[in-house]
Amino acid sequence: MGETLRNIGTRARRVDALEKVTGRARYVDDLELVGMLHLKALTSAHAHAELLSIDTRAAESMPGVFAVVTGKDVPGENQIGVQIADQPLLASGKVRQMSDRIALVAADTAEHAEAAVRAIKVEYRPLPVITHTDEALAPGAVKIHENGNVMTKKQVIRGDVEQGFAAAAAIVEDVYEVNYQEHAYLEPNGCIAIPEPDGGVTIHASAQAPFYIQKAVARVLGVDYARVRVIQATTGGGFGGKEDYPSEPSACAAVLAMRTGRPVKFVYDRAQDLAWSTKRHRMKVTNKIGADGEGRITAAQVRIDCDAGGYTGLSAIVSERSNSTAFGPYRTPTARVDTYVVYTNNLFGGAYRGFGTPQTTFAMEAQMDELAARLGLSPAEIRRRNILGPGDETTTCQKLTESVPGIETFEAALARSGYEQKRREFEAFNQTSRWLKKGIGIGACMYGGGLHAGGQFLEGSGALVHLRPDGSVLVSIGGTELGQGAFTVAAQCAAETLGVALEHVRVTPSSTDFVTDSGPTVASRTTVMSGNAVIDAARQLKGRILEAACELYGVPADEIELREGQVLKRDGTRLGSLKELANTAFAVKKVNLSAQGWYAPPRKTWDNARGNGDAYSSYCFAMQVAEVEVDLRSGRTRVVRVTAAHDVGQVINRTLIEGQIEGGVVQGVGYALMEDLKLDQGRCLNPSFTDYLIPTTLDVPEVDIVLIEQPHSAGPFGAKGIGEPSLIPAAAAVANAVSEAVGYRFRRLPLTPERVLMSLEEAGKLR
Amino acid sequence: MNLEEITLKINGAVRSAPMPSAIRLVDALRRLGYTGTKEGCGEGECGACTVLLDGRPVNSCLLFAKQVQGKEIVTVEGVGRGHPDGMHPFQKALVAAGGVQCGFCTPGVVVTGAHLCDTRPQASVQEIKEALAGNLCRCTGYAKIVEAVQVAVAELGKQS
Repeated sequence: MGETLRNIGTRARRVDALEKVTGRARYVDDLELVGMLHLKALTSAHAHAELLSIDTRAAESMPGVFAVVTGKDVPGENQIGVQIADQPLLASGKVRQMSDRIALVAADTAEHAEAAVRAIKVEYRPLPVITHTDEALAPGAVKIHENGNVMTKKQVIRGDVEQGFAAAAAIVEDVYEVNYQEHAYLEPNGCIAIPEPDGGVTIHASAQAPFYIQKAVARVLGVDYARVRVIQATTGGGFGGKEDYPSEPSACAAVLAMRTGRPVKFVYDRAQDLAWSTKRHRMKVTNKIGADGEGRITAAQVRIDCDAGGYTGLSAIVSERSNSTAFGPYRTPTARVDTYVVYTNNLFGGAYRGFGTPQTTFAMEAQMDELAARLGLSPAEIRRRNILGPGDETTTCQKLTESVPGIETFEAALARSGYEQKRREFEAFNQTSRWLKKGIGIGACMYGGGLHAGGQFLEGSGALVHLRPDGSVLVSIGGTELGQGAFTVAAQCAAETLGVALEHVRVTPSSTDFVTDSGPTVASRTTVMSGNAVIDAARQLKGRILEAACELYGVPADEIELREGQVLKRDGTRLGSLKELANTAFAVKKVNLSAQGWYAPPRKTWDNARGNGDAYSSYCFAMQVAEVEVDLRSGRTRVVRVTAAHDVGQVINRTLIEGQIEGGVVQGVGYALMEDLKLDQGRCLNPSFTDYLIPTTLDVPEVDIVLIEQPHSAGPFGAKGIGEPSLIPAAAAVANAVSEAVGYRFRRLPLTPERVLMSLEEAGKLR
Repeated sequence: MNLEEITLKINGAVRSAPMPSAIRLVDALRRLGYTGTKEGCGEGECGACTVLLDGRPVNSCLLFAKQVQGKEIVTVEGVGRGHPDGMHPFQKALVAAGGVQCGFCTPGVVVTGAHLCDTRPQASVQEIKEALAGNLCRCTGYAKIVEAVQVAVAELGKQS
């Protein structure tokens, strides 16, 4: 190495920017095909009921209707459960959440399909609706599934937590509850299924995980994986919401495409998307922390009740991340975690950026402030004394060895924000200001990059790289582009490794036909996984063409360098162009100019019974400081500034990293302050952007970013993931700032003006 | 369903086709091939469907196509007309600043933002934010979109 990086650490323009600003980018609803049908679904009228009868006769004879199907018409297995087979594609016998599908209609127009859906008659026998995990766990509660309401139980046991508490000088214990968060990607779910002449099917979908869709479609159709091709359409945001969920609409469209022999489009409107798709889980977190007189944690205990909704989906996996990293970036000499994943008849919990950790982080960070107050320390000082460093063990007894800049990241956030000084200033300000109160708060997180040890069967990612005889490069990755910039990072990795100019690298839409199952684009893993896979493929190609160059130019391969499309000697003498070399390698030397790359991290060991082991391959730190102003007349909070310090290993693309952090912080601010799904008997009452508010330009703080670069040897050029750590600490920081501003500890999210005013009123703080 | 000939003036061209009489403008535009205009919510909250109607930004999901026959419509495909490379300086600035991620809100942002640059070059940061408050973006946190407006305004100032 030692060479200058030309395409890494830059502000390279996104490879898909031009098509997106001109309106040319092709999303799934922009595709029209001859003879295409439109699909509409009938969903349940009850959150919990026995299904007595479905009468589709009237619907079948409606104008334009090609097919009406129910559970009995699914050609393969009527099952969509990604981890546990507890979720039928189309309801059979019972419904367990409002989004359960009863029947599907395919018609020549969306209007005809909608009219036919309304003509389907269904008889139900309603059952008691379970609307909270406490109800689900109460003795004698109605069972949502035959095996009861506890889907799974997980734990982490580290040392003797009772001994740890016995050694504590101060203990804080409290219950925190957080509501759902909706992903609110701007493009609702959508897909098109096209029947193939050979009995297979092609799916174009707005999706994060084409390989999940492939498996789900093969299962419901009863066909080989090899007959199911899934192509990712340009995808208008995902944030986890398009990890597992798109398998459902895709499987529906596939069933009807096979039944009718026509292409079938299934695109949701906003209300459907909000009501049917997965959400960030509601959680109840009971957190107990003990520390010695110096503020060093001696014991940490937490019970997590995760509201999964009616089916398993990814909840068992999401809660494993809550379970394994419940205590954030802190040393926990003794610890105990008990995580209950519980069925209810509420909305369907699933993957959302942060994957079960924004909830536990909110609780833990509030507890750190409470503990600090108890011990007379500043919130900064108590964290400083507990942040994990190199050589320390995590709660799951994993030793941290490489790239562990927790304290560096933390101190950078404090210094940049002027935390201590501002805290004093705000305290003085609040003494004299009656209605406007200022606060500053810290949120801290340590995030495990990539999939948990329990999910490593999905680990590993592929890439296909072609060097064309004109010196241009075509890249396909197993990861997907959701807006985060994965394709641009892939192009940069290829350009850097092959010494080709970035504008001559093209990244094709991801397809299951190009690479081996690469798992989902989640867990902040795609830069590392797909980036390394691209580098692996590009290095193979480089080796082959350097061998050809050696013969062509009579120079030893190790003295040849490829740079920006030129072939150079180490001393800078130009030997020729990459174009000439590629063409000769292909035309004369018959070199294979295509290569498959692959990357998989080393196997992790995990003891499920004790929750001990190498939970994740590597960790990154995210430390954020939020400054807020709370108006006690309206209850409204304005977040003025968030200082976000992030440990990123190595910057690949500075503009993209900033974009991830700015966007992640703002989603966290929405989670903290305004995003509030309301439910009644399992039904979502506000499935619209009119009633479910996400931040606009007028709600966002200034985001001040500090990047800490301590390369990790397993990352491409040393990079670590950033997608989720950008969001995780934000809500905790904002909530701590609000609590400090008004002198009252909030233990629920979101902190809407109503909640702030009512809580303060109840606490007698408004007099 | 009653079909009738709907005729629209889009980006300087006259386009027409038989369509349901109650078709919304967003659907009519998309049927006529102007698929850059996106529907994100269908109730005028997200702004992904923003187009210019006689020079003013509107939500095309809240209008019937019939209502706007004879009026000048500009979509994302037409914002760059008359500019070098067929791109409005705001489009270029959005690319350079990194104000694009998933891209689904982008057509609406482009229409609103370009109109703002053209009509209110003196707008303050607060006024820029107010002008863009009807365009929801879930990816970027808006910082780079606001920055792009400032860059484009400066560029337009240099051109004139």
